[in-house]
Amino acid sequence: MKALSGRFNFHLKDCFFRRNCYNKLLYKISLSMSGKKHITLKILLFLITTDLLETVAQFCFKKTALPRSEFEVKSFLDALFFVKEVAFSPYLWAGFLSALAIFIIWCTILSRLDLSVAVPVASFSYITIPVISALFFHESIPPLRWAGISFILTGVMLVSLSSKHKPQTLQ
Amino acid sequence: MKFPVIVIVALIIVTDLFDTISQLSLKSKINALDLHIDSFKKILHLMLGLLKARRLWVSFFFSTLSLLIWLFVLSKADLNFAYSIDSMRYIFIAFASWLLLRETVSPLRWLGIISIVLGIILVTLS
Repeated sequence: MKALSGRFNFHLKDCFFRRNCYNKLLYKISLSMSGKKHITLKILLFLITTDLLETVAQFCFKKTALPRSEFEVKSFLDALFFVKEVAFSPYLWAGFLSALAIFIIWCTILSRLDLSVAVPVASFSYITIPVISALFFHESIPPLRWAGISFILTGVMLVSLSSKHKPQTLQ
Repeated sequence: MKFPVIVIVALIIVTDLFDTISQLSLKSKINALDLHIDSFKKILHLMLGLLKARRLWVSFFFSTLSLLIWLFVLSKADLNFAYSIDSMRYIFIAFASWLLLRETVSPLRWLGIISIVLGIILVTLS
């Protein structure tokens, strides 16, 4: 009996929870209707992940093409032969895989953000690439580049701030 | 074969425009699906919905075209120069999403976008 009442209680709670969820859903829909979506930390992490994966993909494609740089494409047949040569390279498939991952994550981001916010904030890669190459390959960053990086950083901050919505009440 | 600078700039602007079209068609389809993503299942839903859409293939077509022209430009022009002109993309995308997707681009957002473009020009020229 106790177990049953417990379950009943749970059921009630569950109903209440669902209704809460429903209200939340309505609230979210109203937000998305108003067209104002804001950047959360999770979305920012997603964006940085796409930037990093983009770097990985470019690296893989470069690795695929580099050992075959003497290859000359003169005719259509040559191009076909090149495709056959390259198709067995593991780097190519790694590159494709990361491109697919980028596409999926990018679609997820776009479903949450305005296009005019997502694209500028994705320009983070202009910062990550010089910083990574400075950290790992000991390249030096000239002052002009630091100035550029600070400009990009300010811009990304301004764009993200402009995506913040004011709290709205459900009507 | 040497190309005049004006042709290179025009080609870069064309790649940017194609890229903008590709992003716009993708975003408009995602807007039309209107899913609130909070789980992996929803992501799967989104992907299935997109695969059925014609606009996804339009998007792919234009991004491939944009990539091809971009590769051609890179084989002809200086990398720094090409990248700094390429940052015009951000302005195109902001303008197009304001015009076609009815997004509100506030002055603050414009300021941020212009700052990003300036920053990219500085980073690529240095």
